[in-house]
Amino acid sequence: MANLVIENVKKRYGNTEILKGINISIKAGEFLILVGPSGCGKSTLMNSIAGLEDVSEGRILIADKDVTYTSPKDRDIAMVFQSYALYPNMTVEQNISFGLEMRKVPKADRDVEVQRVADMLQISHLLDRKPAQLSGGQRQRVAMGRALARRPQLYLFDEPLSNLDAKLRVEMRTEIKKLHKKLGTTIVYVTHDQIEAMTLADRIAVMKDGEVQQLGSPQEIYDNPANLFVAGFMGSPAMNFVPTKVVEQNGVPMLELATSTTVALPFPKAESLKSHLGKTVLLGLRPEMITEPQPHKEGQPFVTTTDIEVEVTEPMGADTMILTRINDAEINCRSNPMYSAEAGAIIKMMFDTSKAVVFDQESGQRLDL
Amino acid sequence: MSNPSVGRKKSGLDKLLRVALYTVLLIVAAFYLMPFIVMLLTSFKDVEEIRTGTLLSLPSVLNFESWSKAWSSACTGSSCGGISPYFMNSFQIVLPAVAISTLLGAINGYVISLWKFRGSDLFFAALLVGCFIPFQVILLPMARTLGWLGIANTTTGLVFVHVVYGVAFTTLFFRNFYQSIPGELVKAARLDGAGFFTIFYRIILPVSTPIIVVTIIWQFTQIWNDFLFGVAFSGFDTQPVTVALNNLVNTSFGGKEYNVDMAAAIIAALPTLAVYVFAGKYFVRGLTAGAVKG
Repeated sequence: MANLVIENVKKRYGNTEILKGINISIKAGEFLILVGPSGCGKSTLMNSIAGLEDVSEGRILIADKDVTYTSPKDRDIAMVFQSYALYPNMTVEQNISFGLEMRKVPKADRDVEVQRVADMLQISHLLDRKPAQLSGGQRQRVAMGRALARRPQLYLFDEPLSNLDAKLRVEMRTEIKKLHKKLGTTIVYVTHDQIEAMTLADRIAVMKDGEVQQLGSPQEIYDNPANLFVAGFMGSPAMNFVPTKVVEQNGVPMLELATSTTVALPFPKAESLKSHLGKTVLLGLRPEMITEPQPHKEGQPFVTTTDIEVEVTEPMGADTMILTRINDAEINCRSNPMYSAEAGAIIKMMFDTSKAVVFDQESGQRLDL
Repeated sequence: MSNPSVGRKKSGLDKLLRVALYTVLLIVAAFYLMPFIVMLLTSFKDVEEIRTGTLLSLPSVLNFESWSKAWSSACTGSSCGGISPYFMNSFQIVLPAVAISTLLGAINGYVISLWKFRGSDLFFAALLVGCFIPFQVILLPMARTLGWLGIANTTTGLVFVHVVYGVAFTTLFFRNFYQSIPGELVKAARLDGAGFFTIFYRIILPVSTPIIVVTIIWQFTQIWNDFLFGVAFSGFDTQPVTVALNNLVNTSFGGKEYNVDMAAAIIAALPTLAVYVFAGKYFVRGLTAGAVKG
């Protein structure tokens, strides 16, 4: 177990800068997730931590030791790959023990370790098989077993679940989380799936264009996104963005919405909007903050009930998504399936702005931090 | 099943097409086999029978005399020991040349596909040019090189020439094959602590069987059948069998012994034939490997 410090790491290929000065530091035992759209540099960063790619600038420290120029095998890390990268010519047992063999661990100790890992991952009955004879989920387990066998200081997971079908992915996700709780190891995990990021991470680094947009706990990132990109990337369905005009009512800045009627919404950090009076800002409001009127919320300070026109409804079982248009933006609302809403009807909805955020329309930066 | 008449009609047409297909295949096969059949028939006849009969007439008795003569007592130029010593020469050239060029090709392909370095694509492109250089072009420079290396007119020299000439092809084969191996495999092995040669030997080579077979067949056939290098760079007692065959056919005292010529030609072709028979299915499989993913 070890802490990991990434200091101002830059990576250039010719004139293109892939990583533009990454700073991340996590404590021993933390589960860090690098998340972002493809091409954001998360895999390059992962490879740099592993030592499979050299960095152009900056330092990487594992367990307070500078490993920037250390070869991959001496960094004491293990990696689980997207394609699993199991050695096709070796049995499961040989796959798991290969790393130990390379490190000259005696055969007897290797056998003990293989058995321990196999028991932990429940793959003891597969030890004699070749990777080609395994299902996707089993291969996934073997790949993890190979990483676990060496008991490295740091685990790297490179999109390990993206080749599994949806059901298995959810199962393995839970297992990885359990495993982390049990072993307490430091893990860096790359994914483009924001649900994986939310469910697994202690800390999430949202990346875009070779920069860390925000580093924080899943809840921080969800509730307090640093900018428009982070807000839009995390959460499913995505956060609603409504261009609204800042108006003044009784000396307090409010956000104006043109639904079926025109209504002004209160905002928790109203003073941060003062400088934008009369201008248009982007209001960010998560779908679950626009619901059917809920009696227990009635009368709370940042709750407004107003009429909207239903465009489409999407029943999802537990909730029904109601789509509408406000200020020329498409809006997703999450309502109780029992609440009657038909396309074309005008219905009452409750807007809770207590967790709303506002962004600058041009730069996408948060205005109310 | 619900409409039997349609089914019957279709199967009738099917049958007709199948018959036509097999007819065409048989004709083509016969066409390609014809020269070999003529050779075989001729080799079993004696000189008298050849002169009086037609090309396709069957021999009256199976006469193996011409075979033993071709093998051990026919004259090739000034020596009269048959083609057997040259047959052995060929093996002495082919076996090391195939082994070395295949191994070098495997390592080259491994580096070019899985350990890409700055300029590795350019290196590969340059190597590919080697596939397009005609044999004749390198005769003189190679003769100078062999002389300079002190291995002119030796088996070693011929092995060297074939290795140099073959590496371009073998590298191409292995590179294309390794292109389909995910780079993550090498990354995983590096993290596991394996080095360059350990990865090659423990992980890459064991999955290379199809392409190794292809390369061996290709190289074996190429080098065994080579005449030009053999005639240009061999000494009197290091001649490969192809050169000896040429000498045998061109050496005649009195009448031409077509039966001996044919027997010698078949003997000279036997090893490549055997390689195809034993490994042919890998050849097709290996050539198409990577063409279809999955």
